[in-house]
Amino acid sequence: MTLIRRCPMKRRTLLRGLGGLAIGLPLLDAMRGSLAHAGGSEFPKRFVVMYTPNGTVPKNFWPTDVNSETDFQLSPILTPLAAHKGDLLIVGGVDMLSAMAPNENGSSPGDAHQKGTGQCLTATELLPGNFIGGGGQSAGWAGGISVDQEIAKHIGQDTPYGSLELGVAVQAASVSGRIAYRGPGQPLPPENSPYSAYQRLFGDSLGEPLEIERRIARRQSVLDVVADDYGKLRGRLGGEDRDKLHNHLLSIDAIRERLDKAVIEFGDACQPLELGAMLDVDKIENMPIVGSLQMDLLAMAFACDITRVATLMWTHSTSSAVLSFIDPAIKDGHHALAHKGDEDTVKVHHNTLINTWYASQLASLIDRLKAIPEGDGTVFDNTVILWTNEQSRGNNHDRHDLPYVLSGSAGGFFETGRYVEFSGDTGHNHLLISLLHAMGIDADEFGNPIYGTGPLTGLT
Amino acid sequence: MSISRIASLTLAVLPVLACKSTPGAEDTNDTDGTDGIDDMGECDVGDGDCEAAPRPGPTPIRRLTRVEYDNTIYQLFGDNSHPADAFPPDEEAGGFDNQADVLVVSPLLAESYLSAAEQLAATHTPTLMQQLPHCQGDSVDEASCEGDADAFVRSFGKLVFRRPLTDEEVGTYVELFARGTTLAQVPYSPDMGVQLVVQALLQSPHFIYRVELGMADPRAGDVVALTHYEIASRLSYLLWNSMPDALLFEAADAERLHDPAELEAQARRMLDTPRAHEAVGNFHRQWLHLDEIEPVILANGKDPEIYPEFYDGLPSLWRSETEAFIDHVVFEEDANLESLLTAPYTMMNEELAGFYGVDGPTGIGFTRVDLDPGKYAGFMTQPGLMALFAKPDRSSPIHRGMFVRETILCQTPPPPPDNVPEPPSVDESQTTREQFAQHAEDPVCAGCHALMDPIGFGFEHFDGIGRYRATEWGLEVDAAGELKGTDVDGTFDGAVELAHRLASSDQVKACVVSQWFRFGYGRYETEEDEDSIAELHAAFAASDYDIKELIVALTQTDAFRYRHAIQED
Repeated sequence: MTLIRRCPMKRRTLLRGLGGLAIGLPLLDAMRGSLAHAGGSEFPKRFVVMYTPNGTVPKNFWPTDVNSETDFQLSPILTPLAAHKGDLLIVGGVDMLSAMAPNENGSSPGDAHQKGTGQCLTATELLPGNFIGGGGQSAGWAGGISVDQEIAKHIGQDTPYGSLELGVAVQAASVSGRIAYRGPGQPLPPENSPYSAYQRLFGDSLGEPLEIERRIARRQSVLDVVADDYGKLRGRLGGEDRDKLHNHLLSIDAIRERLDKAVIEFGDACQPLELGAMLDVDKIENMPIVGSLQMDLLAMAFACDITRVATLMWTHSTSSAVLSFIDPAIKDGHHALAHKGDEDTVKVHHNTLINTWYASQLASLIDRLKAIPEGDGTVFDNTVILWTNEQSRGNNHDRHDLPYVLSGSAGGFFETGRYVEFSGDTGHNHLLISLLHAMGIDADEFGNPIYGTGPLTGLT
Repeated sequence: MSISRIASLTLAVLPVLACKSTPGAEDTNDTDGTDGIDDMGECDVGDGDCEAAPRPGPTPIRRLTRVEYDNTIYQLFGDNSHPADAFPPDEEAGGFDNQADVLVVSPLLAESYLSAAEQLAATHTPTLMQQLPHCQGDSVDEASCEGDADAFVRSFGKLVFRRPLTDEEVGTYVELFARGTTLAQVPYSPDMGVQLVVQALLQSPHFIYRVELGMADPRAGDVVALTHYEIASRLSYLLWNSMPDALLFEAADAERLHDPAELEAQARRMLDTPRAHEAVGNFHRQWLHLDEIEPVILANGKDPEIYPEFYDGLPSLWRSETEAFIDHVVFEEDANLESLLTAPYTMMNEELAGFYGVDGPTGIGFTRVDLDPGKYAGFMTQPGLMALFAKPDRSSPIHRGMFVRETILCQTPPPPPDNVPEPPSVDESQTTREQFAQHAEDPVCAGCHALMDPIGFGFEHFDGIGRYRATEWGLEVDAAGELKGTDVDGTFDGAVELAHRLASSDQVKACVVSQWFRFGYGRYETEEDEDSIAELHAAFAASDYDIKELIVALTQTDAFRYRHAIQED
C-alpha cells in the first residue's frame, strides 16, 4: 500500500539540536504522529529489545524469597525496576541451547561470545567466516533472521521505518556487535549517534512544503535509475554476489517506499527533541547522556509512529569499555571484569553495579513509554521489551538460565508481575516464538527447530 | 586473554606450496624482477593441474571501504571532506576492514550513500557545469545543452564507473538529466539535471562495488581474464586504495593490461607516488594493530604513580613514529622485511626525542635517528607497540608473546580458560618476570603460557610505556627467552636477538605473504590459490624479501588477473 501524504505546512517550530544548530521543522497535517490513526479500537503493538553484554551476576540477579510466582523479592540488580515490578515477567530457566551446540566439523562456528550475540535473537547456528574469536575459533554472521526483524516484517509495514536499530558505544563491526539480522548474513548495524539518528528519522521533514515535494520527486527519479541499475546487475551475477546486490536493492527499495509516506506531524506526545550540545558518542564517559538521548529518540519514534520495532544495544559482546562513570572504583574493562572468579568479591560487586545500572536504564525506558498516552492508557501498555544478554555469566560463559526479563504485556498478552521458572533444557527458541505470538504473528517454529518448537507455556 | 589449560598449541596451517615456482625464479637477482613470474600458464613440475589453466580462486564482489570511498571521492572531485566518516564502520574480519565476504550494505549504509551523494552533487555541480558550456547563461538552447549533457555523462560517468558507459547507460543518465532540469524552482535547470546525474552515478553499484564480470571468452575451462578496466581498478585499489588515474585509464583504453609486463611497469610507477605510501601505511596500520595504539592506550590509561612521564599526547606520537619508520624503511631504505624487524634506528620529531631522551630532531616532522643496536630492533621495540601490549602499571609478557605468535608468526594460540586467576599486584620487591614465573608452575597455566611468556620475556627491557630499562625496581632485568613451536626454535637473550631470529624465519615470511594476500585481494587464501601463493613466495624470496617486490608480485598472479566465469544460477 502506498499512501501519498504530502501535506501543506501549518506552522513551524524551531528545534534546537543536531550540534546546536537551530532547525525548523515543519508541522504537517499528515496523520502520522498523532497515534489516532490506528483504525478501530486496537492500538498498534510495539516490540523492543534491550541488549547488554558479558553476562550478569546470577546470584545478584534472580529474585529472592520466592514464595510463589507473584510473591518474591527483586534482587539487587533488578531493584531499580521496583516501581515497575507489576509490569515485569522475569523468565528463569531458559537456555540458549542453539549457542551451546559443539562445533563438530564446522556445524556451529564461533566462540561463546560470538554465538551468544549472533544467536540471542536468531536461535540458530552462525555462518562460518573469518571473524576471529577466542582460542582459534572463528565465525561469520548470524545464520538466520532475528526475531525483531521477523516481527518488523509483519507489523512494520505501515510505518516509515520497519524497525529502528540504536546503539550506545557499540564498537565492534563484527558478529560481536550485531544482534539484528534481516536474514542469514544480513546484519543491521546499530546507529550509535542520536544526532545522526535524529537527522535520519526527521531530516526528510525539514524544509518548505513545495521544496519537500520537489525533493521527493528528485529522489524518486534518481532512485528509479539506481534501483534499475541494481536490478540489471543482479541479474548478471551469480551466487553470493547476486544475494549481496539483492539485499542492497532491498535497502534502496525501502528508501523509495518511504518517500511516499508522510512526513512527521508534531503534536500531542510526538514532540521535537532537545538534543543539547553534541557529545562524542565514542567516549565511554558520555554513555549515560548518549544512552538517555537514544531512549528519548526511541520513545519519540513510537510516539510519532515512525516505527513500532526497535533494538537498543548497550556496547557489544566482549566490550572492554571501562564503565567507571557508574563507580570510580571500577577500573577494569567490562569483559575482563565479567571474567573474574566468584571468589573475587570486589570485582563481582563491580560487575553487579554495572548490571544494576543497566537495569536502571531499562526502568527509565519503561518510564518514557509510560509517559506517552494512548487511549485510556499508555504506549507501554501495548509494548513488550525483551532484555537479553549473550550469556548468563561471564566467568564461565554459561548460556543456561539466561537473565531474561520481559517488561510490558504487549496489550494484555503476557501476564506480568510474575517470576516464572522453566525446568529442563528449555531452548530460547520457545521464548522468541512467544514474542512472535505476543505480536500477533502465528508461528510454531523460529530459528533452528531442533532446539525447540512452540511457545513457552504459562507466560500468558 | 592470558592463560590456558589447553596444553597443546594448534599451529596455524601454513600454505602448502604444492606447485613450485617456475625455474629461474629463485636465482633471479636482477632488480627489475621480471624473470620467472610472467608466464603463469606454464609450470613444469609435472603437475597436470598447473599446466591446465589459470587458477584464480574465488572473486567475491568487493564493496568500497570507507577509506576507498573517501580516496575515490577525493580523486573525482578534489573533495577532502571524508564523507564516509558518517557511514557505519566497515565490518572487520581477519584483522582487515576490506574483506569482501563481510562487507555488507544495510539500510543504514544505503541511506548514508544517498545523503553523501546528494551532498557531494550539490557541492560540486557548480564546478562540473564548466563541462557543459551550452548549458550556461540566460537563454539556454535545450538541444545543445542536452548534447553537452551527453558528453558529460560519457566523460564523468567513465571516471565514476571506472569504465566507459554503454550507450544504453548513457541514454538512461541523459534522460535523468532531462528529468532533473524540470525539478528545480526555475523552469529549466541544467544545474539540477547534473546534480541528479551525479547523485545517481554515486549510488550506482558500478561505483559502490568493484564490479568484475570478466572477458566474454574463456581463456581455459571456465576461467576468464578480467577486462582491462577491471584490472586497472585492481591495480589502483591495491596500490592506492583508490580509483585509477589517467595513465591507467589510458592503458585500459589501449587494452594493454593483459600483459604481465605492463602490469609490473604500472605497479612500479604507482609505487613511486605518494598515494602508494598511504596504501602501504593502511596495510601496516591494520596488520600490526597500529590503529589500536591511541584508542586502547588512552582508554586504559597508564598509572601516573608508576609512569609520571606519560601524557595523553604520547600515543599519537608513538603511532606516528612506527608509521613513519615503516614508511621510511619501505620507501626510503631497502624495503627489506629484515630491516623492518631489526633496523637499529627509528623516526623521531622533537617532542618524541624528548620522550626518548635523545638530542637531534627539531620541529614536528619525523627524521631518522640511529639507536643503540644492542638495545633496539625494528618496529617491535618501538614504544607504541610495547605500550599497547602492556598493562597500565607494568609490561605484559603475555600480550607481547601473543603479538609475536599471532601477528608476526600467524599462529593461533589456544583460548584462555574461563576462570582466569587474578594476576599478581605490582610488587616492588620482584621483577614482572619473577611474578609471572608462577605461570610456569601453575599446571592450569603452564601448558599454554610456555608458548607465550618465554617470547614475551624477551621484551622485558621495555617497560609499560615502552622505555628501555636495564633494571626494574633496582633489580637486574632478565630478558632471556625461548621460541617453541616455530621454525626458528631456541633460546635467545633480549628483543634484538629475538628480532633477528624472527627475521630469519620462513614462517614469518609466509605470514607476511599471507597477510598481504588477504589485504590485497580482500579475501582469505583457498586451496585453489596455492599456485598464486607459491609465486608470491618465490618473488618475495627472489628479491631477498623486499616488501615492494612482494606488492609488485601481487599484480602477477592468477588470483589477480583472472576469475571464474559467472555461473548462471
